[in-house]
Amino acid sequence: MIKNTFLLAIFSSFLFSCNNNDDYVDLPDLNERLYAGGETTVFSENSTAFRTPAVNIYGTDLDMHLLGDTDFEQAFVTAPAQINNGLGSIFNNTSCVSCHPKDGRAAFPENMVNLSGLLLRASIPGMDAHGGPNPVPGFGTQIQNQAVFGTFPEARYQVAFETKTETLADGTVVTLRKPVISLYDSYIPFPANGMLSPRIATPVFGLGLLESIPEANLLAIQDVNDTDGDGISGKANYVWDPTANQLKIGRFGWKAGAPTVLVQCAGAYVDDMGVTNYVFPNEVGASQSNGQDGLTDDPEIADETLNQVTFYCRTLAVPAPRNITTDAVRKGAKTFEEISCTKCHVPKQQTGFNIIAAISNQTIYPYTDLLLHDMGADLADNRPDFLASGTEWKTRPLWGIGLTQVVNGHTHFLHDGRARNMTEAILWHGGEAQASKEKFKQLSTQKRNELLAFLNSL
Amino acid sequence: MKLNRILGIGLVLLAQLAITSCSNNDGESVDPNAPLYKTVLTNVSQDVITKTYETMNTNSQALVNAISNFTIGDEAELTAMKNAWMATREPWEKSEGFLYGPVDTQGIDPAMDSWPVNVNDINAILNSSGDITPDLLENNNEARGFHTMEYFIWGLNGTKTAADFTVREKEYLFAAAQNLHAKTTQLYEGWIASGGNYQNYFITAGDAGNAVYTSQKTALLELVDGIITIADEVGNGKIETPLNGNNGGPKPEAEESRFSNNSKLDFANNIRSIQNIYLGDYNGVDGKGLTDIVAIKNATLDTNIKTKITAAINAIEAIPGTFTSAITNNRPEVQNAQAKVAELQQLLDSSLKPLISNL
Repeated sequence: MIKNTFLLAIFSSFLFSCNNNDDYVDLPDLNERLYAGGETTVFSENSTAFRTPAVNIYGTDLDMHLLGDTDFEQAFVTAPAQINNGLGSIFNNTSCVSCHPKDGRAAFPENMVNLSGLLLRASIPGMDAHGGPNPVPGFGTQIQNQAVFGTFPEARYQVAFETKTETLADGTVVTLRKPVISLYDSYIPFPANGMLSPRIATPVFGLGLLESIPEANLLAIQDVNDTDGDGISGKANYVWDPTANQLKIGRFGWKAGAPTVLVQCAGAYVDDMGVTNYVFPNEVGASQSNGQDGLTDDPEIADETLNQVTFYCRTLAVPAPRNITTDAVRKGAKTFEEISCTKCHVPKQQTGFNIIAAISNQTIYPYTDLLLHDMGADLADNRPDFLASGTEWKTRPLWGIGLTQVVNGHTHFLHDGRARNMTEAILWHGGEAQASKEKFKQLSTQKRNELLAFLNSL
Repeated sequence: MKLNRILGIGLVLLAQLAITSCSNNDGESVDPNAPLYKTVLTNVSQDVITKTYETMNTNSQALVNAISNFTIGDEAELTAMKNAWMATREPWEKSEGFLYGPVDTQGIDPAMDSWPVNVNDINAILNSSGDITPDLLENNNEARGFHTMEYFIWGLNGTKTAADFTVREKEYLFAAAQNLHAKTTQLYEGWIASGGNYQNYFITAGDAGNAVYTSQKTALLELVDGIITIADEVGNGKIETPLNGNNGGPKPEAEESRFSNNSKLDFANNIRSIQNIYLGDYNGVDGKGLTDIVAIKNATLDTNIKTKITAAINAIEAIPGTFTSAITNNRPEVQNAQAKVAELQQLLDSSLKPLISNL
């Protein structure tokens, strides 16, 4: 009895010393976050991490997903053609997967003239009939920088970089680059009051889960007027849903400008590829000299194609986090909370009922509130989008972010891909996130590395 | 005294246990087969993947030369051009079991192998007045690459003669070949040690500072997922869509290499890319592959995988005539090939992947 107690005491002391480097008992237990996408979660750490079907879909749902997978890879060509007709006449790219390689994130383009996963949204001051961006006459709400041969694209893109430096508490100096993207060779003059907003293509997994978070849950964490005085507001966007002819809460896109996965996908077909569909049956440049293909073939894709691709994006698996039992990652998670990152990158959400069983009633860890926040002047696009002001952006989900390198071969983050790594992305945070950024800058080297280890574990 | 000794030993053991469990926080215990995994990863990345790209790059230069040498009206030179296209196509198809790394992250796959071809754009380019240069094609994936070149060399119905070529078509073809060669060079250089050195991510998998593969197992699973993906693509995409894409009936316009009637060879070479990764062999040079890991864990599975790879290749090659004809006239043989590819995919997915996952 005595011996046993003695041994137990020794054993306990070892266990304790093993983990007691800091304040072990206070470190968050991340095990419950292992299934980041609920039962959809896939355990993959290689280049397939973003492109696996939800682990829990079967039968006809899986069949539908796989059809959507094929559709996602189809390259479109100029109509008329035997298959995949309908490209353009003006467009940004020719297939879904070209902008979302391996269903992931596009890099900042090496050459602004070439096909890439970056595009520019556009508008002029004022609003359209539904409170959304006011189209630029002759250009619409997006600048298509490619065109079928013999047709003028709306304009070409060019970039100049501005740099600034941030100095961290340990003396590390980080040079940040800000791309200032502008137009040249426009087919007609671009108006002086035209506003441009660059957008990088984002990963497409987990979207059905985000779509299934009950609106009430998101509204419950709104704090539009910052009544709790923590400097962080959080505001839901309300955007036009052409399939319902009403305003709905915005969830998708960099400024939460799309209400559903369906509208996001349909918009991508017509705006990014020039492919008309049942949600958007008119060519993107229908009223322009360069936007008419002269054919009466609309919609250019079958209704089922759009539905399959939408289903595909709704039912891709979320990759599980890694190394979540290590001290470094757990300490990083603690710091992530202590410096208030979690106030916007809310770790946990719950999905409600969904007709797709795989994503229904799931506990998920997307690290987002799906709400709009003022991110400061440096990040601002200065182009409103429904309720989103020129300085507001939607909180990006962080799940899977640590796999960007292995999936996409880069770590370019933020709406225009300006950040070249996680540290730069954090240092661009301003506005409501300014205080958190300052705290990040003050972290010791070790604590900063732990925070990065945590982010890379996601 | 005796008790103290026992306690002392106990203390040492406990201390070791504590130290081991501490150091284990950041990774798994060292697998005694780690040197074998490193050998496999080194050989497969250097001597299979990079060598495949090297072959393609060499052969695409020969394709540029063959087109440059082509005299309109000369059938022998047209044949040489066809052979040069097929010689470049072969390593490409043998690379589709490993569509990760620069081929994807640098947008090389769509630049080389987009399908379908944009016939309207191609005609518009031919009918335009400007020079046709590699640069002109740089932004039009569906009007460059293998299938655009195939369209020119064989013609829409595969019946083109050397006299049918126009000067403008040759100019286009030459530009497309140069563009293709630039891409094969970029791809090869992305992997070699003196270039982008992507192979090094495999060789050093699990080492500190490897930003891509944080463990050897992750890198091995990349190899496994790559070959499962192409098996799936061949069976459920490349064969299925032309065979059954028209409401269960043939859809010949969905066949990828139909101008050249190269589809059967494409499919067989896709399965050979699985074989090369699995065996670790390329071009007659033996090396360590996944087979060497599987053999020591489950020899029966190893034999099964090799058997099913061969069966899939044989079934594809046993399809009579052209694939275009077979999807209408020899459907049972096509279905048999599809079934053999599916069996292979199923085995890789349900047995090989779990085995590697559990290393």
